[in-house]
Amino acid sequence: MHGAGAEVVQFIDLNLAYVAFLIIVGFIGGLVSGFIGSGGAFVLTPGMMSLGVPGTVAVASNMCHKFPKALVGSIKRYRYGQVDIKLGVIMGVFAEIGVQVGILVQKFILETWGQAGSNLYVSVSFVAVLVIVGSFVLRDALKLKKAGGEGWVKPKIAARLQQIELWPMLTFKRANLRISVWFIIPVALATGMLAATIAVGGFIGVPGLMYIIGATSIIASATELVVAFVMGLGGTLIWAYFGMVDIRLTLLILGGSLFGVQLGAIGTTYVKDYMIKYVMATIMLIVAVSRFLAMPKYMNQLEMTSFSEVSVSVMTQMSFYIMCFALLTGALIILVNMFKARSAESALARAQTQA
Amino acid sequence: MIGYSKGLVMEETMHSDGIQSADAQRMNIGDMSQQSRIAKQSTILLVTRKNNLAEPVIDYAVSVADRMNCKILASYVNTLPLFEDSSIHHRFFASAIEKNAAEFKKKAAARGVDFEYVQESGKISKVINRLCHIVKRVEFVLIDQGIKIEEAALGSPVPVFNIVCSGSRTGKMIEQRQTKTILNGEKQMASTSKKGYLTKTLIFGTLTAGLYAAVFLNSEIIMHYFTKGGIYALLPVATVFVFSYAHGSFTSNFWSALGIEGSKATITKKVEKSKTVEKRPDARPRVQANA
Repeated sequence: MHGAGAEVVQFIDLNLAYVAFLIIVGFIGGLVSGFIGSGGAFVLTPGMMSLGVPGTVAVASNMCHKFPKALVGSIKRYRYGQVDIKLGVIMGVFAEIGVQVGILVQKFILETWGQAGSNLYVSVSFVAVLVIVGSFVLRDALKLKKAGGEGWVKPKIAARLQQIELWPMLTFKRANLRISVWFIIPVALATGMLAATIAVGGFIGVPGLMYIIGATSIIASATELVVAFVMGLGGTLIWAYFGMVDIRLTLLILGGSLFGVQLGAIGTTYVKDYMIKYVMATIMLIVAVSRFLAMPKYMNQLEMTSFSEVSVSVMTQMSFYIMCFALLTGALIILVNMFKARSAESALARAQTQA
Repeated sequence: MIGYSKGLVMEETMHSDGIQSADAQRMNIGDMSQQSRIAKQSTILLVTRKNNLAEPVIDYAVSVADRMNCKILASYVNTLPLFEDSSIHHRFFASAIEKNAAEFKKKAAARGVDFEYVQESGKISKVINRLCHIVKRVEFVLIDQGIKIEEAALGSPVPVFNIVCSGSRTGKMIEQRQTKTILNGEKQMASTSKKGYLTKTLIFGTLTAGLYAAVFLNSEIIMHYFTKGGIYALLPVATVFVFSYAHGSFTSNFWSALGIEGSKATITKKVEKSKTVEKRPDARPRVQANA
């Protein structure tokens, strides 16, 4: 076996409880992904690890489910006219480069500070990115909601950047914008690096598309699925090369997530622009809390702190549950708003035909 | 209102200059520039993909045009110009149109309605768009059976209406039945498409179940090969693509069969939005490189 190390990789035995867990979590993750363009997958890696799956297998199997889910989601949203393929592919290519850079950075930290240091780095990145970006997106969403939710104003940064004529300039028909490729590249690289670090590139990718490149939240979240597909496919090929993909786990997660991603995609056609930002920000901020609570464990291991064993174990457990809570909250918001809008639309249609 | 009063004036002119207006009607339009020079009377644009319009359709169009004092411009659109490029086909198509147009003209003339026709080819939306821009006063567009209303609406700056033939021969009856037939048609469409989704759901569901069974009943062998690494890396990747197709189709049809689909309001809005985006590149200044 082309193993990364000399150890034999253990693949877990599956029972009904594990199967159900994977399908359900897959469904919820898919639902969120289909709606906000990303973010469903990050619960799965720790989720699988809690079932006893080795870390690398968890990451690999997760990634192997991510790209087909992104493919199905992007096809569905393409039919709704929300995907800019050109933008997605260009970003995807540079994001893939970002992933490779991110992996190198991770490797360096692993060699310098060991496993605990690596985990701390991951957690700090998580918290920093999620808090900063999440609060920004939430503020924007609340502002839009107050303003009535209708209409979309191009963010100032994006408007200014779009005016800068720096060859090569690219025009994107579906996204309805024209911008220099030099502003797309850093967003894509950052997306890839974050994906390599915390497994969710979209938390930078989608806000980057919205606020720096200037796409609407619907186009941004839909196009991000294309980026996720490209990144996921590239990453999976590498992991599969090392024989790390447990196809059973992948297929079980996929079983649930393909239901969810379609539903999430459908949901985007019923809600206002700001709702996507709102769901994304909510999830990001709750996950930030979750990751913050996971930090003491690594800080203790690095002897930076000395919390008691009991408190560390409690915080670590809470961290996991809060993460699940984040996903469930997001899923609930999506479903409630979607069905509310749906029943309003069908009531209106019924009234019109009777009139 | 303006159109109506102008129409009255036109009618008087038509009656007094009977012969002249007949001459005007006898003009076949191959040259669209003539069209724009002719009277400022409003026009109803009637579009069909076929080489003949059914009698009830003609009767209906004529009666509407009569009541609204509009002219009729019938456009016979060949939507497959490359396919039917052979000269025999072309001539057959053209002669059938001429016959139909002549019959149409007779009926229109009987009620004092101006009639002209054109033969066009290409996409319906583009033809409608072009004609509406050339013929400045199109009131609305009537589309014959076989044309998708969404496609027509894409290219039309004015309202588009379906004509549905319920088998009756008189124009009046069609008008009354039109709304009902359309509503019934929609209801029928809804139930047939739900049936269609259910069938597809069952087909893809069976396929997916079969695939899952195949993998999990043979999990040991599969895990052995799929985790071998190297070139075998393509195995899990290929597998998930297959599952994406089967399971993806199953889940898509599943939700559609349950009636959970995208909001129609948003989707039609998106169709209109894409119109404006496509025009953007044309607005940019171009360099004329004439020496």
